[in-house]
Amino acid sequence: MKKVFSTLAAAAAAALLLGGGATAQDKIKIGYAVSKTGPNAPGAGITTIPNYQLWIHDINEAGGIKLGETVVPIEVIEYDDQSNTEELVRAVERLVNQDEVDILLTPWGTGMNLAVGPTFNKYGYPQMAATAATDRAYEMGERWPNSFWMLGTSTMGAKSLAEVLTKLHDAGKINEKVAMVSVADAFGIELAAAARPVLDEAGFELVMDESYPITTQDFSQLISSAKDSGADTFVAFSYPPDTFGLTGAAIAGEYNPAAFYTAVGTAFPIYKDQLFHDNVDGVLGIGGVNTDDPKFQDYRKRHVAVTGQEPDRWASPVTYASLEVLQQAIERVGKIDREAIIKEIQTGTFDTVIGEVKLDRNVNTNVWWAGQWQNGDFHGLAPAGMEGAKEPVAPKPAWKPAG
Amino acid sequence: MIAVDIIISGLLLGGLYAMVALGLTLQYGVARIMNLAFGEFVVAAAFGAWWLYTANAISPLAGLIVIVPLAFLANWLIYHLLLMPLVRRAKSREVLEGDSILFTFGLLFVMQGVMLSLFGGQLYSYSYLLVPLDVLGTTVSANRLIAFAFAIVIGLGLYLALTRTRAGTAMRAVAVDPRSARLVGIDVTRMSALAFALGGALCAAAGVLISMFLTFSASGGVLFTMKALIVVILGGVGSLLGTLVAGLLLGLAEIATARLIDPGLTLAVNFAIFLGILLVRPTGLFGRSSS
Amino acid sequence: MSAARLWQAPVLLLLVAALAVVPLVANGYYLALGVGMLSYIVLATAWALFSGPTRYISLATAAFFGIGAYTMAVLSEAMPVAAVIVVAAVIGVAVALVVGLATLRLRGIFFVIFTFGLAELIRQIVTWYEVKITRTVGRYIFLDIGQEQIYWQLLALAVLVFVVGWLIGRSRLGLALRVIGDDETVARHVAIDTTRAKLVLFAISAAFMSVTGAVMAPRWTYIDPAIAFNPMISFQVVIMALLGGAGKLYGPLLGAVPLVLLFEVINANFPNHFAIVLGVVFIVIVYFLPGGVAGLYDRWRSGTLALPAAAARSHAAPGSAMLQLVRLRKAFGGLVAVNDLDLGVEAGEILGLIGPNGSGKTTALNLISGALKPDSGEILYKGRPIAGLAANRIARLGIARTFQIVRVLEHLSCTENIVAGLAFRPRPAWGDDARRRAEDLLNRVGLAGRGDVPAGDLNYIDQKRLELARALALEPELLLLDEWLAGLNPSELAIGIDLVQSLRDEGLTIIMVEHVMDAIRSLCDRCVVMNTGIKIADGPPSSVLSEPEVVAAYLGGADA
Repeated sequence: MKKVFSTLAAAAAAALLLGGGATAQDKIKIGYAVSKTGPNAPGAGITTIPNYQLWIHDINEAGGIKLGETVVPIEVIEYDDQSNTEELVRAVERLVNQDEVDILLTPWGTGMNLAVGPTFNKYGYPQMAATAATDRAYEMGERWPNSFWMLGTSTMGAKSLAEVLTKLHDAGKINEKVAMVSVADAFGIELAAAARPVLDEAGFELVMDESYPITTQDFSQLISSAKDSGADTFVAFSYPPDTFGLTGAAIAGEYNPAAFYTAVGTAFPIYKDQLFHDNVDGVLGIGGVNTDDPKFQDYRKRHVAVTGQEPDRWASPVTYASLEVLQQAIERVGKIDREAIIKEIQTGTFDTVIGEVKLDRNVNTNVWWAGQWQNGDFHGLAPAGMEGAKEPVAPKPAWKPAG
Repeated sequence: MIAVDIIISGLLLGGLYAMVALGLTLQYGVARIMNLAFGEFVVAAAFGAWWLYTANAISPLAGLIVIVPLAFLANWLIYHLLLMPLVRRAKSREVLEGDSILFTFGLLFVMQGVMLSLFGGQLYSYSYLLVPLDVLGTTVSANRLIAFAFAIVIGLGLYLALTRTRAGTAMRAVAVDPRSARLVGIDVTRMSALAFALGGALCAAAGVLISMFLTFSASGGVLFTMKALIVVILGGVGSLLGTLVAGLLLGLAEIATARLIDPGLTLAVNFAIFLGILLVRPTGLFGRSSS
Repeated sequence: MSAARLWQAPVLLLLVAALAVVPLVANGYYLALGVGMLSYIVLATAWALFSGPTRYISLATAAFFGIGAYTMAVLSEAMPVAAVIVVAAVIGVAVALVVGLATLRLRGIFFVIFTFGLAELIRQIVTWYEVKITRTVGRYIFLDIGQEQIYWQLLALAVLVFVVGWLIGRSRLGLALRVIGDDETVARHVAIDTTRAKLVLFAISAAFMSVTGAVMAPRWTYIDPAIAFNPMISFQVVIMALLGGAGKLYGPLLGAVPLVLLFEVINANFPNHFAIVLGVVFIVIVYFLPGGVAGLYDRWRSGTLALPAAAARSHAAPGSAMLQLVRLRKAFGGLVAVNDLDLGVEAGEILGLIGPNGSGKTTALNLISGALKPDSGEILYKGRPIAGLAANRIARLGIARTFQIVRVLEHLSCTENIVAGLAFRPRPAWGDDARRRAEDLLNRVGLAGRGDVPAGDLNYIDQKRLELARALALEPELLLLDEWLAGLNPSELAIGIDLVQSLRDEGLTIIMVEHVMDAIRSLCDRCVVMNTGIKIADGPPSSVLSEPEVVAAYLGGADA
């Protein structure tokens, strides 16, 4: 009895609070659920949320999205998934069934995007996964043809790193020994797993290969071990707090390998502006941008103006580009016909802040995977085929004690 | 050489754990408030230090002078305004413990929400005194060393205050047996409020010191709460010495595991030690067995 | 007795049927809401199965849930889903048994944090194993299982958890757990094997949690340790169960349903201030709803089942040695409470154990009844060594006791207090038979008609009477009375003395620690005086009480 009542109450409450939507296409409803709280909040707060804000701002400036001859304004509905997959699935179900949104934006993170894959697929919404790095991107694209993996695969990350290191080794800047550490989380382990064969093939020898638990707070021992390993190259497939912690420990431990690579977080503006200032030059990291590209420069300026913070130099522009792809596909189709929009994203070519985007079997390969701080900005180095790729510099200047 | 390295690094990390946990020892051991929002107070203090340093160029060490008394006051007010109704209503310690868990669980969300709207979800960090120093042949970071020194001073001061002053003795009496404490004329409520506020002040000090070398974010408080809880329980509820020993033990174990066994197992070993010791000593290292 | 509840069965069946057709009519969102709600109902109810009666706050929910989810992730491609669910339950039970054996002696906050640490340890070990051995973290589950199936599976699980909970509530196990929750020491002294009872419940509860994890896992496609072992699950389940009221089977339901809705409504309306609004709502709940939702309702009591009646136990022949203490010793730190005590008690006699405060009398009783383990020495009960046995085993052998500071099960009724004594003895009484016997015992100690009163509402004297009745319910051969006559007024004392006398007349052997000298003189055949852990006199009360050493001990006791 109570249960029936509660269920009814639930329905009533939800219906009351969520309301019904208009049916005529006088506006486009855009909805998303993203981690505003919980462990994923920092990642989403740096990369996903500001770019959604910027994009929405840009559309509102333009009056809306062009559908045929008319410019249709947008309405945005957002939820907090609390970094919880179950909350996320439910929030997306709500966006689809209760709010009846026309377009869904994606959550932050690999696991979160995979968790809502079946739901996006069931209802036929395009899924522009811009913050998911998985080696099974192609497989996912095949399984869910509506899903698009904008950050590529982790093997690309490993290959790009090997490319940079090979260049440095060929130039006689580093020996063949590599010390590698990785965070014991899907991201770090996938990258480390991809890197092992790739580095081996490129003739490098892993003299240290360790993982550390997520939320580790002291890195002095990892740095000491790396120091003792005799490697000229230090590679860390790390998350932002670890990236900062490892760099700090390297400075404090006076560990100066010729090549120092840390992963996520290295390309964050805070890495230089608040943490390591003039120590950053020479540090290698994941991601990168073509800083000379006026499109990026323009994007950066608008990002700062609208959100009050710098974009990170990796997934931020990719996130924004994925929204541009989505918008352009909608405008080309001229109506909210999701099947047609998906087809257009699969086959079309798009002009974005990261340059021309043409997906290869639902996966974007136009991504910087290795970059380096040079002269105070984070530049893309590899894949070398990318436009504006810079040459890697080694050895990294020795750390200076920082006040 | 490696041994010295491990001991020094282990002490630094362990000192950090102990420092974070000291405040909770007071709040839980004396005032019987199981403060689940503890980590949020740590993070709030870290934000305070960050703001003073980046916006006003006030060094975090100077910032202590501002932040610690503020935290004391804030916690004293929280106890009197928000927790008092629960304390008055509670028929027994167990009831108060249960209520305080639920209440601080709510407080946790409120504080997290406020910090999220003030600072957003991003990571915050700054570098302060990131200078290598040589200690017995081991290079350590100056900021960690200073934090450790401050932790020692604060811990020692607290110890002296609790053992040498009347208020301290009263506080310890409350921790051991509030009923008897009342019988000998101690104002248990006042002492509890004082202990809660003092605990809050210590936790703020820890937050300020930690912000010098750790990355923090508005949603990261839970991590500190859990670490502190483990240290407090392992040491034995209400025992300052226990907290200190437990913190150092966990720090040393973590560092030794990272260096000698496998860095991937550091947290596993920490939890295993925690669980193992509780099995042998069900009330913690220095805990009194309940009658 | 269940006639009053007969109408409930069809209503409940209809309700389940109605819930079962929800997926046919509801859209994806309501279904998702239903899935979320059902999963928390199962978890919170399973949690309360164990934690409700025992009052052990467990934060291990995430560990068992994660074990289930991970089992599904690892095995989903290797075997059929149904088989995986069974495996998940088995692993959950196995872990619960191992962990339970090790941990259930912890109490209070130590148990809470221990279970939290356990969940984290399992998560760390799984992560490490995946990183080092399988070299992947994060597994994919591609099963063609839709929301509807998950909903139905959870619904079936919810029905099952309620049926199991209902059955447990009616069983001796249920009573055992409530006794443990109220006073674990008493539980052992009424012959409850507390460890086994807790362990069984812990395992049952863990099985449900593991299965929930296994059922939910296919929904997320991708499982890694952070997702599977999310500690927030543990906290939310505790909060829901506490809010609803963990003492009743339906309590967690009353917490889970409104809280899931509340989270939903807050998130729908305040996506940017979810945390603040949630926190404020929470604080308000603590202030204005202290007893939980279920606390607003009256206490609910379970019916009882009839079990075969127990036969009376044969008593040892009068005059033979009932109990023999040989060089018994117990020290607390430097203080030797019982110092190489030698003492014999014959069947059918009343032995008075007297001495100044702190002389070791109660410690001696605690050693005999198994509340404490001796450091050295031997206790022979009817010729059989019992030193160091668990209290519940000693109670089953026929030694019952009362406590110096009265220990009744405050939250249980007087009848239930006595049934606790009847239900776990070697030939247990249960159901109507037990109620009848409880009634008799209440009459006997002068509590006729008070059977339904919660024991906590009795006054001190009546609580003592109840405690004696509970001890007698065990049908002991040896009864240990710890200052049972203290605090009685003269007329009550006369009744009390008569009562003890009548027990002796029935052939009971009694050791009484007592300060009331009139009672010693009129009741005891023999009297042993202790001082600082040592026996200083032994003989008939009249002669012993006039010995100079005894007088000195009592007079000197003031400054000892």
